[in-house]
Amino acid sequence: MKKLLFLLRKEFRQIRRNRFMIRAIIAVPILQMLIFVPAITFEIKRIDLAVIDNDRSQASRELVSKLTGSSFFVVTATPATVTEAESMLLSGDADIALVIPPDFSRGLAGVTTPRLQVLADAVNASTAQLSWSYITSVIRDFNREVIISTGMIPANMAAIRTGSLPGISVSPRYWYNPKLNYKYYMLPGMLVILITVIGLMMIGFNLVREKESGTIEQINVTPIMKWQLIVSRIILFFIIGLFDLALGLGIGWLAFNIPFEGSLLLFFACAAIFLVAVLGLALFFSTMASTQQQFLFIAFFFVMVFILMSGIFTPTESMPLWAQQFNLVNPVAYLMRINRMVMLKGSGFSEIMRDMAMLTILALSYLSLAIRAYRKRA
Amino acid sequence: MNAVDAKSITQRFGKITAVDDVSFTVSEGELFGFIGPDGAGKTTLFRIAATLIIPTGGRMTLFGLNVVSDFRELRNHIGYMPGRFSLYTDLTVEENLQFYATIFGTTIKENYHLIEPVYKQIEPFRKRRAGHLSGGMKQKLALSCALIHKPRILILDEPTTGVDAVSRTEFWEMLEGLKREGITIIVSTPYMDEALRCDRIALMQQGRLMGIDTPAAIRSSYGKKIYAVSHRDRYRLLLALRAMTDVDSPEPFGEAVHINIREGATVDDVKKSLERAGLEGAEVTEITPGIEDVFLELMKKGS
Repeated sequence: MKKLLFLLRKEFRQIRRNRFMIRAIIAVPILQMLIFVPAITFEIKRIDLAVIDNDRSQASRELVSKLTGSSFFVVTATPATVTEAESMLLSGDADIALVIPPDFSRGLAGVTTPRLQVLADAVNASTAQLSWSYITSVIRDFNREVIISTGMIPANMAAIRTGSLPGISVSPRYWYNPKLNYKYYMLPGMLVILITVIGLMMIGFNLVREKESGTIEQINVTPIMKWQLIVSRIILFFIIGLFDLALGLGIGWLAFNIPFEGSLLLFFACAAIFLVAVLGLALFFSTMASTQQQFLFIAFFFVMVFILMSGIFTPTESMPLWAQQFNLVNPVAYLMRINRMVMLKGSGFSEIMRDMAMLTILALSYLSLAIRAYRKRA
Repeated sequence: MNAVDAKSITQRFGKITAVDDVSFTVSEGELFGFIGPDGAGKTTLFRIAATLIIPTGGRMTLFGLNVVSDFRELRNHIGYMPGRFSLYTDLTVEENLQFYATIFGTTIKENYHLIEPVYKQIEPFRKRRAGHLSGGMKQKLALSCALIHKPRILILDEPTTGVDAVSRTEFWEMLEGLKREGITIIVSTPYMDEALRCDRIALMQQGRLMGIDTPAAIRSSYGKKIYAVSHRDRYRLLLALRAMTDVDSPEPFGEAVHINIREGATVDDVKKSLERAGLEGAEVTEITPGIEDVFLELMKKGS
C-alpha cells in the first residue's frame, strides 16, 4: 500500500513535469466543449433559395417575401429558367429552387389550378427533407390566407378573425428540451467523448512510454509488483478523467447554461464506472503495442468506432440490428444514454439501473481481459 | 556458497539460440567480467540473472536462490544496471534516487555510506533532471540507484559503453571500492582493458562460453609467440602481411599489426619479405599477448 503511494507520487511528479500532458488535460476539455458543442448541429439556419418567378405578380412577390421573412430562406438568385436553376443546384449556389408558374395569380383568383414546383438538392437527405418541410409549411400558411381573403369561407366565422381555419389543431410540447436547443443534446455526448479520449489515449501513452524508454527494465528488477504499477496508473488517470469531466461540465454550465436536472453524484458515479472500462481497454491495447505510435493506431481506430456507433449523432435505435448488438459491448453507448438521461431528464437511479449494471459488467470484463493479456506478455 | 551458480543455461528466441548451454560460477565478493562481441548473448544472460526472463533450459541460482522460483526474494538482493539508461529522465537526480530507495523500503540516508563515493560526484546536480545529465553522470546516477538498497550482487550490463575515458577509469575504481565492501559484481564490457581489472573473465561468443579464467591465465594460455609489426603505411603493411605465406593471422591493433610466424620461419624472414614488398623500416617486435589476441584466437578456433 505504501509502495502504491510512492508510485503515485512519482506519477504525479512526472505528469506535472510534462508540459504537453498538463496542456492537454486543461486545453482538451475547453476546446472540445467550446468548439464542438456549438459547431455540430443538425439545425438548419440558412437555406439558399433560387426563385424562378414566371408570374411576376403581386401574389408571387407576396409568397416570396413570406418565405424570406421566415429567417431560414435567403433568396440568392432569381434565374429566368428551370435549366438555369438546375445548374445552380448542381454548383451548390442554391439548396432549393422554387418555380412559380405564369398562371399563379390567376389561379389564386380561382380561374386555374396553379402548381408550384420545388426542386431540392438532396445529397444530404435530412437537410433536403427539413428544407422541404419548412417551405411547404410556409406555402400552406400562404394558401390559407388566400382562402380566407378570397372569401371562400363564410365571413362571419369567428375563426377567420383569428386567422385560423376550423380543423384539428395539434399543439406540441417538447419535454426535457422545450426550446429544442441542439446544444443541450450535444453537450452530454461531448462530455462522454471527452473522457473517452482522455481516459483511453493518455493512460495508453503513459503505459507504453515506460516500455518504450526502457525504464520498465529497471522497475521490473525491484520488489514492485506488476499490479501495483498498473493500479497506480489507473488511479492517476481515473483522477484526471474525473477532473476533466468536472471541467467540461463547468464550461458547459458557464458557456451554454446547460441545465442539469439529475443527481451530480449519480452522474459522476456512472462516469467513474465508465472510466474503469475505458482504462481497462487502454491497458489491453497497450499490451499489443510496443511503441506509442502503435498504441495510437490501435486506440484511434477503436475510439472512432465506439464514438460513431454510440449514438452521439444518430439514434442507436435506428441502427441495423448488428450495430445495436455491437453496442452491447460499447461502453460509450451506455454513458451516452445515461448522461443525457441524467442531465436532461433528471433520471434517477431506478431509470438508469439497467445501463449502469451493464456498464459495470463491461468495466469488470475489460479490466480482467487486460490483466490476463498483461500477465501473458510479462 | 557461490554468489552465482549457472548450470547449462540456454535461451532460445524462436529459431535463434541467444545463450547456448552456459555454465559458470561466481564466488561471493568476486568481480567477474564477461567479454564478447555484440550479439554474443551477454545481455540475455544478464537478464536471466536479473530475474527478467525465464531461461528455456538450465538452472541458475544466486546465493542459493533460484532466479525463476525465488525471483521475488532475489529482487531485494539484486542491483541491476541495464545497458540502456533506464531511469526517469523527467525526474531529478534526487527524485530518482529517492524513488528507488522508497520502493525498496529504505531511505537515502540509511545506505548513504554505500553510495557516497559514487553519489557525491553528482550530488551538486541533484536538482537537475536525469535527462539533462552527461553520459558519465547518468551512469553514476544509475549505479547509485542500483546500490541504494544495499544489494548483495550488482549486475552491470556494459556500464561504460558510450562513456568518456576519464569517467570509465573512475567508474572502475568505484567498482573496486564496492568489491571491497563485499559486493559481488558481474559486469560485461566490450573494452579489453577493462577486462584486465576483473578477478576472472569469461569469453563469450555466439551464445557460448569459450573460456573462463583470470586475466593473467588467459593471456598466458596463448600458446604461440606474437609479434607487433609497425610501419607508417599501415594499409599497405596489412595487405603485404596478408599475402605472406610465412605469416599467420595478421590482425590490425591500433598502430600495429599483430602476427604469428609460421613454424620454420623467423623474424628476419618476415623483415626481408617486407623490404621486398617496398616496406623498408618496418619494425617487428615480440610482445606479450593481450586478452584480445587470445580472444581472436579462440574466435577463430570456434568458427
